Amino acid sequence: MIVPFGHVLMLAGMLFLLGVFCTVTRRNLIMIILGVEVMLNAAAIAFVGAALHWQSLEGQAFVLFIMAIAATEVSVGLALIVYAYRRSGSFDPSSYNLFR
Amino acid sequence: MIPFWAQDATHAMALLSTLMPLVAFLAIMLGTRSKEKLSAGLSIGAVAVSFGCSFLLLFRLWNLREPLEYSTRWVALNTVEIPFGFLLDPVSLLMLCIVTLICLLVQVYSLGYMAGDPGFSRYYAFMSLFAWAMTSLVLSPTLLQLFIFWELVGLSSYLLIGFWYEKFSATQAGKKAFVMTRAGDVSFLLGLILVLVYAGNLSIVEMNSPGFAGLMPSTMVTFAALLIFGGIVGKSAQFPLLTWLPDAMEGPTPVSALLHSATMVAAGVYLFARLFPFFTLSPAAMGIILFIGTVSMLLAATMAMVARDIKQVWAYSTISQLGFMIMGLAAGGYFAGVFHLTTHAGFKALLFLCSGVLIHTFHTNDLFELAKGGVRRLKIPMVALAVAAGALAGLPPFSGFFSKEAILAVLALSSNPIWLGAGFLGAFLTAYYAFRVIFILLFPPQTATESSDQLSGLPSAPKPSHHEGSSMTLIWPLIILASFTLLLGFLQGPLENFLVKEDKHVLLSHGVLGAWLPFIALFFALAGAGLAWVEFGRQGARQVGFAERVPFFRDLFSQRWYLDHFYRFFVDRVVDRGFSRLFAQNDNRVIDGSIDAMSRGTLETSRFLAFLQSGMIQYRLLASFAVMVLLSLYFFF
Amino acid sequence: MSLYAFIFYLTGGLIVASTAIAITRRHMVHAVIYLLFSFFGTAVLFYLLGAPLLAALWVIIYAGAIMVLFLFIVMMIRTDTTSEVMFPLSQWLPAAIFGAIYLAVGVAVVLMTPGTEVALPMVVGSPREFALYVFQNHWLSIEIVSLLLLVALVGAVSLGRGRGEEQTEDEA
Repeated sequence: MIVPFGHVLMLAGMLFLLGVFCTVTRRNLIMIILGVEVMLNAAAIAFVGAALHWQSLEGQAFVLFIMAIAATEVSVGLALIVYAYRRSGSFDPSSYNLFR
Repeated sequence: MIPFWAQDATHAMALLSTLMPLVAFLAIMLGTRSKEKLSAGLSIGAVAVSFGCSFLLLFRLWNLREPLEYSTRWVALNTVEIPFGFLLDPVSLLMLCIVTLICLLVQVYSLGYMAGDPGFSRYYAFMSLFAWAMTSLVLSPTLLQLFIFWELVGLSSYLLIGFWYEKFSATQAGKKAFVMTRAGDVSFLLGLILVLVYAGNLSIVEMNSPGFAGLMPSTMVTFAALLIFGGIVGKSAQFPLLTWLPDAMEGPTPVSALLHSATMVAAGVYLFARLFPFFTLSPAAMGIILFIGTVSMLLAATMAMVARDIKQVWAYSTISQLGFMIMGLAAGGYFAGVFHLTTHAGFKALLFLCSGVLIHTFHTNDLFELAKGGVRRLKIPMVALAVAAGALAGLPPFSGFFSKEAILAVLALSSNPIWLGAGFLGAFLTAYYAFRVIFILLFPPQTATESSDQLSGLPSAPKPSHHEGSSMTLIWPLIILASFTLLLGFLQGPLENFLVKEDKHVLLSHGVLGAWLPFIALFFALAGAGLAWVEFGRQGARQVGFAERVPFFRDLFSQRWYLDHFYRFFVDRVVDRGFSRLFAQNDNRVIDGSIDAMSRGTLETSRFLAFLQSGMIQYRLLASFAVMVLLSLYFFF
Repeated sequence: MSLYAFIFYLTGGLIVASTAIAITRRHMVHAVIYLLFSFFGTAVLFYLLGAPLLAALWVIIYAGAIMVLFLFIVMMIRTDTTSEVMFPLSQWLPAAIFGAIYLAVGVAVVLMTPGTEVALPMVVGSPREFALYVFQNHWLSIEIVSLLLLVALVGAVSLGRGRGEEQTEDEA
């Protein structure tokens, strides 16, 4: 007997909120990606907790896919950031407003 | 009854007489514009054919009892059928002959007058259009067809008045003529609609039939008659709308002759004569019309007394004489009005054509300049001018005497002696201004003559520049018209037989004054001519009219009783500042305002949306986060 | 409170604290290092929640590969982050408001859902079981994910070929 499932969910939710906060408020593209990683992390915790709660390996399998998605997102995202940085010399998302 | 075969031939002749000018117009506009002689030949040939046909028609139908109507269906609506065709009755036949004759003479005359003008072909094309419109108007069996050609007459007169379009005043005059007659035409059209609503069709024969009174209430008849008379006021330049006609002098002089005698302005009086039985249904309308005719006659006569421009004098006299015709018609003298229309067409065309010769020769419109130039040396035009002026003044044996006397006889029948008095006054003024012109031209001030004789070698003096080749084409129409003027008066009896089949000699019983009437009229005319002689003709006369000695009258008359000022004022104050400002404000505030508000709203909204749409990814993330939160609120609670 | 529960709350607190520190760092290297702690904590949590294979993979891939990639990029670009506006009011105020609502909703949902107060059992999904399960039930998805990774690789390579600067010069 570890902890109630609700506590796991609350921890995941709190982490998710931190990730959202980072993504939304930090004026830095790398930090935005970092916030996304934090959110994915929170989701993974919730899935693993759910797998334990319902005694099913489905949740753990899903975390595997989350990991793959995270790896993809980070590699492409960081490459895009570097590319954009070379073109504009800035990490500030507010300077990327050509479409405005 | 006329046999069947004759009907067809009559129809064919009517067709020929109206359509030939149209053919000429189309041919000139489409094909022969570059070839001047050919264009003129086409036009004159066409109008000659239609003249011949109309005279044949006149002789063939001399004993016509019932109006002949040929019509085909043009438009058939649900309840309204609009026919298109010809109506041949005495007045239309007579008018057709006048129109085609004057058109023919004027076109021949124009050969000389317009020679060398860059727009020679265009001139003839417009003349043909004018002839077509007028002949078709004259023969229209329905008021709708009449209205269509009425407008076409307005259009072609606009084109001809503004013929020298490079002259600013000419275009202005054309515009003024068009707009002012249009004001009358609106009223005409309203009248037509009123008649159409009650009667269901616009057939002239039906409107003139005695049974028509049963179709409309009498107040409506009065109303419709006055509305239709509004069109006549515009077209014939009667009292409130008379100022366009003097300005229409900007066109070439033959055009003025045509406009003033047979076509444009005559169309109004012709319409009145055409619908005469209809108008007689409403005594109230006839009273108002009589009043307007009298006012226009006297006003224009006073204006003519002080005008210095020879064409202006005749223009005012046209208004005056038209007013006189309308007086005659409104007083019940059908034949008198039409007869005066006929004689007036002849002598007014003659007056203008003579003046045209003078103007063409001396290149000035001013009476005193012309006199100094020595117009008395031009024998034939001056004699013709004197004949025409005599007719205008109503002196025997010229045609004007007979027709004027007929009108005065009708006026004498009316219960109110004011009209007869006004008629005599008008006759007096007419004789005065007609002979004023003649005496000014014939007897230039002695000093001026001498100086002009002395200075005749100098280039500055206006010199005759008569082209020998053109002189005969200019002179022959004058001779024909002058003989016409001399002879027409003696045709009064036959013409009256022709026009008024029944009720013969009812109108000829001269009221109180009886047989003395012609002599009284003659006395007034001679008095006017005599006054003109005293002031302008006799040796050492100061050549200043009695009206010109009083500054108030001089200004009043030469400024056309301030009618133009009044119009200017009216247009400025009421139309410009009142209506158009209202409309402009409606445009600015309501329409533009609402569109502005819409665009401003769009702009503001989009600016607001653009503020939201900062183009920054974090706001989008924030928004999607907020949406997610709110969705969770929505789904879980 | 059992030992497991204690470890859970300890690691949970550690994760939240290190993540909170990480996302507030001005210096990105510091942020990445703090986040590393957070991911290690996550791995411990996975182990605790009966997923040893995932814990190992988490350390290798997340804490190892991904974070190193971050570190690598941060060091490669060597950007000056002192000028960054850390938490603009226009961003953090709405974020905080909606975050508070989100937390309140989340807590309420968790508390109101029956079954969440039951303590989790102690079960371990061994790596063998897990591997068999994944490859029996999700082999197609695994292949698709591997294809996705390949595409990401190609994309990253093509983006990183340094065309950006040339185009900037062209446009300038």
